[in-house]
Amino acid sequence: MLSPLAHRALERDGLGPIRDKVLAGERLSEAEAVALFEARDLPALGALANHVRERRHGDLTFYNRNVHLNPTNVCVATCKFCSFARPDDKHASEGYTMSLDQAVHHVLSKRELGITEVHIVSGLHPDLPWDYYVETVRRIRQAWPELHIKGYTAVELHFFAEKFGKTLEQVLRELIDAGLTTIPGGGAEIFASRVRRKICDDKATAEQWLEVHRTAHRLGLKSNATMLYGHIETLAERVDHMARLRALQDETGGFQVFIPLAFHPEHNMIGKAFPKPTGYDGLRTYAVSRLFLDNFDHVKAYWISLGERLAQASLSFGVDDVDGTVLEERIYHMAGATTPQALSEAQLHRMIRFAGRVPAERDSLYNVLRVHDGPAAVSAAGGAR
Amino acid sequence: MKLRAPAVTFLNARPLTAGLVDSPRIDLVLAEPSTCASMLEAGDVDLALLPVGALPGRDWEIVPGLAIGADGPVETVVLAGEEPPEAWEEVFLDTASRTSQILAQLLLRERGLTPRFTHMPALEGLSRAVGPRGALVIGDRAFGVKKKVVLDLGREWNRLTRLPMVFAVWAARPGVLAPEDVQELVRGAQVGLGMRTELAQQYARETGGDPEHYRRYLTQRIRYGLGPHELEGMEAFLSRAADAGLAPRATLRFADDVVRSRRIRRLVSVDTALQKGADGERLDADEAEALDEKAPLLELGLAADLRRRALHPEGVVTYIVSRNVNYTNVCTTACSFCAFYRPRSHGEAYVLDRGQMARKIEETLALGGIEILLQGGLHPDLHLEWYEDLFRWVKSTYPAINLHALSPEEIWHIARTSQLPLDATIERLVAAGLDSIPGGGAEVLDDEVRRRIAPLKCSTDEWLTVMRAAHRKGLRSTATLMFGVGEEARHRVNHLVRLRELQDETGGFTAFICWTFQPENTRLDPSDNSAHAYLRVNALSRLVLDNVPNLQASWVTMGGGVAQASLHMGANDFGSVMIEENVVSAAGTTFQMDAEEVERHIRDAGFEPARRNMRYERVGSAA
Repeated sequence: MLSPLAHRALERDGLGPIRDKVLAGERLSEAEAVALFEARDLPALGALANHVRERRHGDLTFYNRNVHLNPTNVCVATCKFCSFARPDDKHASEGYTMSLDQAVHHVLSKRELGITEVHIVSGLHPDLPWDYYVETVRRIRQAWPELHIKGYTAVELHFFAEKFGKTLEQVLRELIDAGLTTIPGGGAEIFASRVRRKICDDKATAEQWLEVHRTAHRLGLKSNATMLYGHIETLAERVDHMARLRALQDETGGFQVFIPLAFHPEHNMIGKAFPKPTGYDGLRTYAVSRLFLDNFDHVKAYWISLGERLAQASLSFGVDDVDGTVLEERIYHMAGATTPQALSEAQLHRMIRFAGRVPAERDSLYNVLRVHDGPAAVSAAGGAR
Repeated sequence: MKLRAPAVTFLNARPLTAGLVDSPRIDLVLAEPSTCASMLEAGDVDLALLPVGALPGRDWEIVPGLAIGADGPVETVVLAGEEPPEAWEEVFLDTASRTSQILAQLLLRERGLTPRFTHMPALEGLSRAVGPRGALVIGDRAFGVKKKVVLDLGREWNRLTRLPMVFAVWAARPGVLAPEDVQELVRGAQVGLGMRTELAQQYARETGGDPEHYRRYLTQRIRYGLGPHELEGMEAFLSRAADAGLAPRATLRFADDVVRSRRIRRLVSVDTALQKGADGERLDADEAEALDEKAPLLELGLAADLRRRALHPEGVVTYIVSRNVNYTNVCTTACSFCAFYRPRSHGEAYVLDRGQMARKIEETLALGGIEILLQGGLHPDLHLEWYEDLFRWVKSTYPAINLHALSPEEIWHIARTSQLPLDATIERLVAAGLDSIPGGGAEVLDDEVRRRIAPLKCSTDEWLTVMRAAHRKGLRSTATLMFGVGEEARHRVNHLVRLRELQDETGGFTAFICWTFQPENTRLDPSDNSAHAYLRVNALSRLVLDNVPNLQASWVTMGGGVAQASLHMGANDFGSVMIEENVVSAAGTTFQMDAEEVERHIRDAGFEPARRNMRYERVGSAA
C-alpha cells in the first residue's frame, strides 16, 4: 500500500496519473517513463517502485553464489566504453587467453566454495576454434554436473555464428548439448543505432542481439538483459532500450531479470569525456525500470559496479536482486571499479538485512534455494528497518 | 554497599585512584601490586588494579578503557646490574609484580639468555646485583637506580614488538561491578589525570626527588588509556607469555557497562509521528524513537524532504571549500573507534610545524579555499599558549582564512591542562583568532555509549557545556553524530534531543552532520553502519532537529551517490570539498571529490550548487 506521504508527494509532482496506472497494474508509455526519469523526486519515485517490488517479492532479496570465468580479453571489437578488451594476447598489450585446461581448472578449483553458477563472458577472439567454446562448457558439465553454466553473451553467440558459418540455432543447440543452461544479458549496451554507431559499431546490432535472445528463448533457454547507462545516451534512448526488451518479453517470456549497468570511465576511450554516472542516476534508473518493465520478474543491482552502499540503497528503489558473491570479476575492475573482488555470503546477508529485507539464495533460474529468515537474521537486523 | 578496592602505593597508580578518595561507591585500601591478586582471590576486595600477568587462568572482569602502561621507556620497570645481561648467570626477581617478572624473562629469552631466576625482595636483589648477577627492580624503587647497566623493559618491549606495554588494569570479581561503578572509576580517572602535576609535587614532598621529573613521568611515560593499540600490546604480551610457558593462555573478559534503565515509553503511532514530522511539528523523544525503530526509509525520506523543501525552498545545495588540517595525531584518549591517533612515542606520531601548516594553507587558498578546519588529538604537552601563538600566526599571515578549529573535546582538554576556567580559555582563543568551532567529538551524546567506546573523552554534559559557552561568546559551531557503534535508537534520540535543547537556548548551531562509524584499523565492531542506516538517521535528524537550519550530506564516508540520495531526504548541503582528510581515511574510507565533481553531483541530483562560508552565507561564484 502506498503511504499518505507518498501520495502527497506524487500529486505535488504531477505524477498522480502515472501513480494511478501503476496501482491499477496498467502499462506505462515511453513518455511516462521519461517523465519519471525527469521527476527529480527520488523518494516519491522510490516509493512507487518499491510498491511494485514488494507487490512481486515482499521483502525477499535474491542473490546467488557464483564464479566468473573470463577466458580471454582478446577482442576484435573496438567498443569505446570497454577497458577489458585487448587487440592480441601478447604480453605487452596485457592480453591473455586461457588454455582450455586453464579455463576449466579456473572453475573446477572453486568446487569447495559452495557455488552454484559459473558466468562465462569473453572477448571476441580472432583465432580460437569453435571447439574451444563448446569444450569449455562440456568439460565443466562433465566434471561438475550440478553446476549451472550461464555462458556467452548474445554478442559472442552472434560472432560464433558468423565466424564458424553456423546458424544461431546450430550454435545454441551445440552449446546446449554440451551443457549450457542460460545465457547472460551482456552486450546489449544501448539499442539505439545512433549510440551503437558511436560506441560499438563493429559488434552485433540491436536487432541481432534481440534475435539471439529470441532464438535462445525458442530453444527453451532463459536469459537476462542488461543496459549500459550513463555515457552518451539520452533518457529517451534508455527508455527505447527498455521498450524493445519489453516487446520481446511479451513475445517470448524468456527474460528473467533486467540489469542496468553503470558505465565506468577509467582506461577506455570515452571515459575522459564522460564521467561515471552518479549514484542518483543509478537509483532513478532502477526505479524507472522496475515501473516500466512490467513483464520482467526481477531487477538486479550489480554491486560490483555500484559499490555496496549504493547497492544496498537500491533495495528501496525497486531492486530485488544483488547478484552474487562473484568470485574473480575482471571486466569492471579493469575499468577502475574499486569494489572488493568478492563479497562473502555473510557480507551479502548483512547488507540485505540492514536494509530491512530478507536474503534468499537463488539458483540461476531464480528457484529459491534457501530463505535466510531465522531468528539470527532478525537479531542481526535489529531495528534497522 | 561500597566496593572495596586496594590502591597500590606506586606513583603511577595514583592518577587512577586519587579521584576516588571520597568516592560514594568505592573504598580504597592501600597495598603492594603483588598482593592485589591475592586479596582479590581471597575475596578481601571486590576489584583491584591488577598486574596483567595475574589475569591468565582467572575470570576477572576488566574495566574497559583504563590501564597503566607505557609506549616506550617506562623508567620504573628495569633490569639492572654491573655487567651486560649476557654476563648474567642469575637474575633476582623483584616479588612485587607478576607482569614484570614475566616480561623480564621474555625479554631475556628474546636475547637468547636463560639465566637462573631467583625470587628476592627488590632492595636485597639490587644490592647483590654485581658481577654475573642482575636484578629486576620495579615500581618507585627503580627511579634513579645506580647501576652501570640499566635495561628499561618498557623500551625493550616496544623495540621488540612496536607495541605499547600494559602493566596493570582495573579488574573485578565477576558480577560485582554495576555500570555506575565503571562510570565512577572513569570519573575518578578523569579527576586524577587532571591532578598529575599536584600528585607529582606531593610525591616529591613524601619521598624527595624532582617534582618536574615525576610530572614528566606521569604525563609522558605512563599511559592511562586502554585503546586498540594498548589492547593489541596486552594481547601480544599474554600470548607470548603463554607461548613461553610462563603463564596459562588468557581469555580477556570486559565488564559490561551498559545500563538498562529505559524511560517509560508511551505507545506512539508511527504514521502519526511521520505526519507531525512532515508538517514541522516538534517530535518528542518517544515519537522520535518510534520513528528510528520502525519507520521505513522512504517514509522518513518523504517526511524529511518536506521539511527540507519548507526550510530551503529555492532548491540550492551549498558547499564550502575548506581543508582539514590535523595538527597532531598524538592523543591520550585511546578511543576504541579511532584509527587516527598514535601514542606520543609512536614512530608515526607527529605535530605539524609552521612550515607544514603554511604549505597546507597556501595550497588551500590556491584552490579557492576559504577555511581551515583545524583539529587534532589531545596532546598532553600543548598548552593554551601554543594554540594562541598558532592562531595569531595563522590570522596575521592569512587574514582571509576562517579558522574553524578545536572541537569541544580539545577546548576542554586545553582548559584542563592549562588549569584555566572554560570561559577564559575560549575568550583567549577567540582573541587569538578562533572564528568558529567544529562539532566533532560528539560521537553519540549519551554517557552509556561514551563510557563504552571512549571512556576518557569528555562527558555529554561537558561537550554541551563547551558548546554553550562558545555560543554565548558569539561563536557559531556545527554539531555531529557518529553512529553504528553498538548504540540503540534511544541513544541516538537522546543525542538529537540534547542538541535541540541547547539550540533552543543558544541558537548557535549552524548545521548538523551525521555519519556512520568506519571500522577499519580500529578495535570496535560496528553495529548497523550501512548506507541504509545512514539515510534513515539523516532523515530522522531533519525531523527532530527542527531548530537547526542546515543538514550536511556525508559523502566522505558514504560516497557521492548515497549523499545525493540524502539531498532528497533532508540534507541541503554537500559539506566541504575536501582537500585533505586524515581521520576517516585512516579508518579505510576514502571517497574523493573536487569542486567540479561536487557540483556535478549536486546538479545531477536536481539542485543548483552554491558556495558558502561557515555561516552559510553565499560566497563567490560556483566552480
